[in-house]
Amino acid sequence: MNQWLDDRLHISRLNDKFLRKAFPVHHSFFLGEITLFSLIVLIITGILLALAYEPSNSMVVNSFDPGTAAKPNMLPAAYHSALKINAMPFGDMLRRTHHWMANIMIAAAVLHLMRVYFTGAFKKPREINWWIGMLLLIFAGLTAVTGYILPYDNYAYSTVKVIYAITASVPWVGDWLAQAAFAGRFPGDGIIPRIYGYHIMLLPGILLAMTAAHMLIMIKQKHTQPQYAKRLAYKKIVGVPLMTQQTPIMLMLALLFTGLVMLFAAFIPVHPVEFFGPPSSSGVSNIKPDWYLLWVFGALAIIPGFEVEILGGTISAEFIGAMVFPGIVIGLMFAVPMLDRSKDNQYYAENPTNSPVRLAAGVAFMAMMLVMSVAGYKPELIESRLLTTNNANAILWILTFVIPALSYFGTIGIVRGIRALREADERETLAHAHADD
Amino acid sequence: MTRYKKQDPELTRRKFINVAMGTGAAVGTLSLVSALGIAKPVFRLTADKAPPLKGDVLVHADAAKYGQPVKPSELSELAVIAYPMGRNKDGSTVIRAGEPNNQVGVYKFEPSALQAPTKIDATDNGIVVYSNTCTHAGCFPKSVNNQFIVNCPCHSGQYEPRQGCKVIGGPPPKPMPQLGVKVEGEQLVLTSSFLTSPYGYKNDEEWEAYLKQAEELLA
Ligand code: FES
Repeated sequence: MNQWLDDRLHISRLNDKFLRKAFPVHHSFFLGEITLFSLIVLIITGILLALAYEPSNSMVVNSFDPGTAAKPNMLPAAYHSALKINAMPFGDMLRRTHHWMANIMIAAAVLHLMRVYFTGAFKKPREINWWIGMLLLIFAGLTAVTGYILPYDNYAYSTVKVIYAITASVPWVGDWLAQAAFAGRFPGDGIIPRIYGYHIMLLPGILLAMTAAHMLIMIKQKHTQPQYAKRLAYKKIVGVPLMTQQTPIMLMLALLFTGLVMLFAAFIPVHPVEFFGPPSSSGVSNIKPDWYLLWVFGALAIIPGFEVEILGGTISAEFIGAMVFPGIVIGLMFAVPMLDRSKDNQYYAENPTNSPVRLAAGVAFMAMMLVMSVAGYKPELIESRLLTTNNANAILWILTFVIPALSYFGTIGIVRGIRALREADERETLAHAHADD
Repeated sequence: MTRYKKQDPELTRRKFINVAMGTGAAVGTLSLVSALGIAKPVFRLTADKAPPLKGDVLVHADAAKYGQPVKPSELSELAVIAYPMGRNKDGSTVIRAGEPNNQVGVYKFEPSALQAPTKIDATDNGIVVYSNTCTHAGCFPKSVNNQFIVNCPCHSGQYEPRQGCKVIGGPPPKPMPQLGVKVEGEQLVLTSSFLTSPYGYKNDEEWEAYLKQAEELLA
């Protein structure tokens, strides 16, 4: 039978080309895999959730608490179906697994990106995969945001209101854009069906297609080799093959990891729709986006309000804070491979301390994101009397620039120190070697 | 025959691919544009989505008392959150909650405490009504006990309701607009819609144009 299949499907070629792909043996190379596993679990749990979810914001009678015939208790159908999902056996846990997985997928993707950045794995010939990776990150964020809106509780409602406002803040075309994206003026009758389409069809389709491209290119170009490979066999691919060595490791990792997330989901509640309640006229106090978008939120909080009219278009603080500024940040990240002008192909992952400027720039960038995320907590900082309404913006602005600068020079200093120690070490061994002669 | 150049009457493969790609891209862009054209639905104004209009009665927005008229005796310097209630084409009453930005805050201060830029002739005996949608990103602010300020939880925008709801802190670009109100028996009746442009409208002209359009559509 093997022969029969092979004659038709050329499995031996597939075997040579893909199944024998060598995986580098180093734990930091698992981060990408974890991202991939999360995506798979997200799709499986997402399909299960979609089976029980009702994508509509028309009002229906609450079947748990119907009220009276004269005054029925009405809820948006989407919110009502979220309550129903919670009432299913393990339904709440299914929702939480989906939610935690999404958070962890983005976390793993960010760590994976950091690994690639700090070891110089984005250099020629892998620039294209860096760019695809950046797109993946952006679309993953969009998918997460649309997912937030689907339960259509008060929290989701407030969130989508702000997102609508940000979309509408684009000069000239904002109104049209927001109405096209959210099916009419907020809160349109078709807003949930529209977002549902984005979240279960459009965005996952894009994510899957780009993930496939990401991995095909990776297989074609091979992983960067870890440093030990240089010593073992120079310019040769070193690692364990996908079939049959890497596969059990992957499976074990996937199961362990999924189990861990399930444990999270079982014990750590997240987005309690019952607590937020259906959309209402009183907003949710202290509403915050997820951690990976907190920096945008922080930027919005510290950019003072202004509006300028240019040729009939209004440029507002929201547009600058939520569109232009993140655009610059993402543009910088896109530009990373172009800053490197090496002609040769990069075979080996670098030791981060070998390029102190790149390392320090990365650390400073992360420090800046961190400070801006803290700025997202401005209301809390004011409430706890660490800052006041009057000085909050000034102090947060200063920190936004001072802390990254400090971390930049601090990192360079530390790297210099490490180098000096290393060189001293080498000199010493050399001296001893001579003494032995 | 060094000058000889082969004259190929047929299309080269490269040319064919280029033309095919160009046509494909053009058709794709066109269909994308038309698809985007249908993405924005037409806006149909219904009474529940109309802006607050002259003659509307203010009713509670709070779930506990939803739809009950706001009484003058219930008011204090802490905002009572309300929706305007108007009439449908068939004459039945309808709460204008389909447009969330219709939410208003109703306050009552000592009449002497109200100062410019509050429009005093739009108030009634210290009762003053403002929009309750933050002009920054559209969150719903809350008034704070004993401090005579309205605080937006989103990015800590702050307003002073005794002085025309002007911005006294945080990022909001303009004050939350006032509405005209008068007491009629036990009810609060609007004598005008938002006096200046509310959240979602770029400037006063755009807002007034929309208001006029809404009044015509509903008449
Ligand atoms: S939405 Fe009110 S301060 Fe930003």
